[in-house]
Amino acid sequence: MNEQYLSVFVEETREYLQQLNEKMLALENNPEDIEAINEIFRALHTLKGMSATMGFENMAKLSHKMENIFDLFRNHRASVDSEIMDALFAGVDTLERMLQKILDEGNDEIDSSELLEIYETFYSKVSGESTKESEHVKEEKTSAEKISEEVLSIPITIEESVVNVLKEAREKDFNAFYLKIKLQEGTMLKSARMYVVFHKIEELGGEVLKSIPSVEDIENEKFDRTVELVVVCKISKEKLAEIIKDISEIAEVNVIEINPQNLKIDISPSEEIEPESEVKKTSSQKTPVSKSKESSQPASFGTKITQTIRVDIDKLDTLMNLMGELVISRSRIMETLKKYQIKEIDESLAHLSRITLDLQNIVMKIRMVPIAFVFNRFPRMVRDLSKKLNKEINLVITGQETELDRTVVDEIGDPLLHLLRNAIDHGIESKDERLAKGKPPIGTVRLDAHHEGNNVVIEVSDDGRGLDRDKILKKAVERGLIDEVSASSMTDEKVFSLIFEPGFSTAENVSDVSGRGVGMDVVKSTIETLNGSVQIESIKDQGTKVTIKFPLTLAIIQALLVTVEDFVYAIPLVNVEETLSIKDDEVKIVEKKPVIYIRGEIIPLINLKELFGLPVQKSDKNVLNVVIVQSGSRKYGLMVDGLLGQDDIVIKSLGKMLKNIKEFSGGAILGDGSIALILDVPNIVASL
Amino acid sequence: MGKKVLIVDDAAFMRMLLKDIVTKAGYEVVGEAANGAEAVEKYKELQPDIVTMDITMPEMDGITAIKKIKEIDPDAKIVVCSAMGQQAMVVEAIQAGAKDFIVKPFQPPRVVEALNKLSK
Repeated sequence: MNEQYLSVFVEETREYLQQLNEKMLALENNPEDIEAINEIFRALHTLKGMSATMGFENMAKLSHKMENIFDLFRNHRASVDSEIMDALFAGVDTLERMLQKILDEGNDEIDSSELLEIYETFYSKVSGESTKESEHVKEEKTSAEKISEEVLSIPITIEESVVNVLKEAREKDFNAFYLKIKLQEGTMLKSARMYVVFHKIEELGGEVLKSIPSVEDIENEKFDRTVELVVVCKISKEKLAEIIKDISEIAEVNVIEINPQNLKIDISPSEEIEPESEVKKTSSQKTPVSKSKESSQPASFGTKITQTIRVDIDKLDTLMNLMGELVISRSRIMETLKKYQIKEIDESLAHLSRITLDLQNIVMKIRMVPIAFVFNRFPRMVRDLSKKLNKEINLVITGQETELDRTVVDEIGDPLLHLLRNAIDHGIESKDERLAKGKPPIGTVRLDAHHEGNNVVIEVSDDGRGLDRDKILKKAVERGLIDEVSASSMTDEKVFSLIFEPGFSTAENVSDVSGRGVGMDVVKSTIETLNGSVQIESIKDQGTKVTIKFPLTLAIIQALLVTVEDFVYAIPLVNVEETLSIKDDEVKIVEKKPVIYIRGEIIPLINLKELFGLPVQKSDKNVLNVVIVQSGSRKYGLMVDGLLGQDDIVIKSLGKMLKNIKEFSGGAILGDGSIALILDVPNIVASL
Repeated sequence: MGKKVLIVDDAAFMRMLLKDIVTKAGYEVVGEAANGAEAVEKYKELQPDIVTMDITMPEMDGITAIKKIKEIDPDAKIVVCSAMGQQAMVVEAIQAGAKDFIVKPFQPPRVVEALNKLSK
């Protein structure tokens, strides 16, 4: 049966392990966090049940032992300390490894005996009893049990106080019975099962006056499979037997009616007879298992339950593609019908536009996932790393609810991981060094995500030592990345961006954490393949900040359509600041470059014809169309021949053959079926 | 027509498994809930004959849910599902009004036995 459940099992287990990691970190930060303890307990409990059901014994056992520890925490019988937390973290790791092994090899055979030993020791130290289940079972047999049933009609000795109650009860038309109840072989939770029996008897208006073994022993599962009871109730012997027999997992019930008169017990006449009401009280106090008050406070908050279905990402891609085609068709229809100027059609076209826009937004949203998916795994990594490097790190994560395209989320994990490692390994100084600099001993690493226009911005920053300009330059010259002459005149920004060059590493000691000379260039190329950009800023002894920007969606964008020499080009609207018509005498030449002067700002002009290698003719028109674009903090004016208007375009990649072309990020099919190239503004500007 | 069963468990995996066992035994699973609060809602909506109730769940645990369901319908038939080593909670659930309990890992005959006994 396991095959069909395995994928669900794996997926859910993974979610629970993630939850475990998160909550244990929360608990480590705040050992009093009872909410976290409860959630961890629940997660482990569920894991135990799931893995046992799938037959993964090792996993079930490990989660069971871990759960026991949290049970102690929950009941305030033990407190959270760093030693046991380390062991518990190791436990989560082992569970993760087991899951991996289940995926790879179909079994969970990983030795966890060392951990189990630690948990066992901890548990027995606190609770004074071993958690080994086997020890509960098959313990002492009470002497009364050894008396054989054949010899006596009632095979147990009954204390005189009980006899008195029996007599009293008899007068009130209660029947008294001796019951011998045997549980089925392999019954689990025997004491709970016995409780069901007790509960049933009480429900029938009866009382349990005596039990062998004692109620306490039943509570502690210190019995084999047989329990003997003395019970008073108003129903008949047969009915009682039938009702008890009907309880699950009861193998056998023997009922013998007791006649108190026949019991050979000498009663001293002066003895007070306990009134029945009091018996009721005492017996109900003795319900086999005491109510636990601590448990089951409903969680005040927790994971929000939303109804979800899982969809193959390929289907979403197809949907997105079809959506793109739809947008193109719409544009074409509008284009075609525009010339007829039919009012009725205009209205329905406007409606169609709205619907496609909504549809487009929905499809985009379907593909979006919160970046928490990626961020979630970092706290654990940072914790381990800071322990390893003996640096205290405070990881501050903000904006994890920010959503972005699934493709980006899938790919961004490794680059971010690398940036974080760098920040901790190279950025944050050792504790002594920090104190010497007058900084707080605990280093702060921030991870933030937020929306900025049509972009998602992810920032990784630290308050460490910052990048060392001289060291980077020295290394770059050594590696032949730049020559010494240009080194001195480079801006900080350009210097820092050198670390993204292939084969560059500034770490003096190559640790096993980071700095193997691969990495930063991979970080950059990964981000660029996702249409993103990366920037680095750093101030000596104050820290470093890496800013990554991604377009919100990778497929449909709004663009300004312009013409250059009869060809249509698209400029992503995100880049466009404004459009201007200027007279050609407003163009000034500064350092041999054309610029315009607008509202106190000097803006360099870029002649697209020149850029595209088209013949530049002196036009007889004396009016120029300029599109002001912004990239980073700088503005440029793009000189174009005509402005066509704004449209939604679907980005199609130019394909592998043309991937070296920096000026264009892709192509798009326009409403009239023609093709427009999309300008890659950041790249054009950067290449100047 | 089989009796109507509502399955409550926070793990989709467990729900799937139980649903299989329950359906094969000739019962009709009319609904599933992933936490206690949902269970109470579904109980009102679906009026099932039998409820299988997990204990440890987010939002609202099984015991609270049992109490709430019992307030709505004192005759509600609820089977508690528990993992091993949770005696105290099972007992609390019985006190709250659960009629029977089954222990994870589920043994299909036990589950069916519990359901059959309850549907008498």
